[in-house]
Amino acid sequence: MRSKLILSVLVLAVACSVYAASSPKKDKAGEAVVTTQDNSEDLRLEGEKRFRANCGRCHAAPHKFPPRMMATIVRHMRVRATITDEDMRLVLLYMTQ
Amino acid sequence: MWGSILRISIAKLWTRPRAALCRLGWTTLLTAILAGAVPKFAWAQLSAAPRPVPILTGSAGYFTVKDNGETELVPEVIPVVLLPLGDRWLVEARGEFKGEFARREDTGNYGGQVENELDYLQVDYIANSHLTVTAGRFLTPFGMYNERIYPIWIRDLQLVPLIFSIGTGSSDGIMFRGGFALNSKVNLNYATYFSTLSTVNKFESDRTTGGRVGLFFTGPRIEVGGSFQKELQEDRKNSFGFHFAWQPTPLPLNLRAEYARSVYGSGYWVEGAYRLGQIPHWNKVMRKTEFVARMQQTFAGEEQPEGDDEYNLPRSNVQQPDFGLNYYIKDGLKVSGSYSRWLGRRNWNTWTIGIAYRFAIPLGRAE
Ligand code: HEC
Repeated sequence: MRSKLILSVLVLAVACSVYAASSPKKDKAGEAVVTTQDNSEDLRLEGEKRFRANCGRCHAAPHKFPPRMMATIVRHMRVRATITDEDMRLVLLYMTQ
Repeated sequence: MWGSILRISIAKLWTRPRAALCRLGWTTLLTAILAGAVPKFAWAQLSAAPRPVPILTGSAGYFTVKDNGETELVPEVIPVVLLPLGDRWLVEARGEFKGEFARREDTGNYGGQVENELDYLQVDYIANSHLTVTAGRFLTPFGMYNERIYPIWIRDLQLVPLIFSIGTGSSDGIMFRGGFALNSKVNLNYATYFSTLSTVNKFESDRTTGGRVGLFFTGPRIEVGGSFQKELQEDRKNSFGFHFAWQPTPLPLNLRAEYARSVYGSGYWVEGAYRLGQIPHWNKVMRKTEFVARMQQTFAGEEQPEGDDEYNLPRSNVQQPDFGLNYYIKDGLKVSGSYSRWLGRRNWNTWTIGIAYRFAIPLGRAE
């Protein structure tokens, strides 16, 4: 009985999230595209922001590694931390420049 | 057809975002996002990313644990191998080699054994920007401790929480996981899995299913989430839990909490870790110093079958405050000490002190 309740709550949570996802997305898509219009310095700054927001959440934010190591680490973290694709790309850009 | 409609409509986002979006409609937009069309378009500039190289990483540590008067020396090596393949694949594995040496009553010398374990050996396929499929042996996605905090260079207190055994461990099977931005303020992450029964040495696993959902609020930097697990064998027991993490932006403070419940018992822990950077004296040293406090409580449930699991739940109700001090010498290297008091049918102290180091070595050209 209890398990069903929990399961329903989880399902409901996902359903609500997906519903919520459908409304503000237009702003999001617009925003994302606007940033690419700007030069790469803005992308780098955005990358730094995402690095600060994400990479110190579980462990102390790490230093930069050489570019090809960084690419592996970011792929690893992307899977482990289920961080969004966009965050990962921007963090990689920032960490390899 | 879909492709060209999308491309035209998305192109208009540059100039007239709202009008173009209205025309696009919700369905198209959602399809586009699910298919990864928007990120591909928007991040085309970033596609010249460096080619990933295989890495040997992981941690090594040495701890002395004084538990209820008995001293144990615990050297550990935890190698992690990362093998990226193509654009979308990653093979990852982690082993644990842990010595536990206690002083022998008869000789007075330290003796013991080295245990080794295979925590994970998995293949990840990044199917699209919101979904990764993992097959093999992986860390069971339940709560946040095992997947995120467990490595010795990460954990703030060396003693794992008392409720650690609930829903946690490794599973052999298949897992689907990923994350996406619900809007500019909230990211959702999820993981769901199915695992088979295995009694093969080092690949032990139960037949279970379950998952976890988390919401991360990027502004206040709060994550809340819930986990669920159902056994598909024996008496089909269920476990569930909730987790909470908060890093208030203006403070070097890390707050985390978990609650978990299974038939064998339930409990919670609440932990705060604070970097002492704001103290004006000795600032260089203080910035690298972290003070940690945790409170935990467990409530015993049904008797747990005797197993070789080192992390079983306490058999009676227990409260345990823990305090710790970490000093971060540099990135990936820290010394840490802690004190815990077990308050149950009997009371005792546990002290730990030691050092943990995270290493990362490229297995090929790194530049
Ligand atoms: C959800 C928690 C979490 C987040 C967020 C996170 N990490 Fe990690 N990170 C881990 C864990 C856990 C490990 C250890 C993996 C292991 O030993 O199995 C790790 C390991 C690492 C390592 C050691 C090498 C490796 O790949 O194992 C580096 C470097 C690293 N993370 C960098 C980052 C960067 C950069 C980010 C931001 C994009 C990040 N982490 C975000 C949890 C996280």
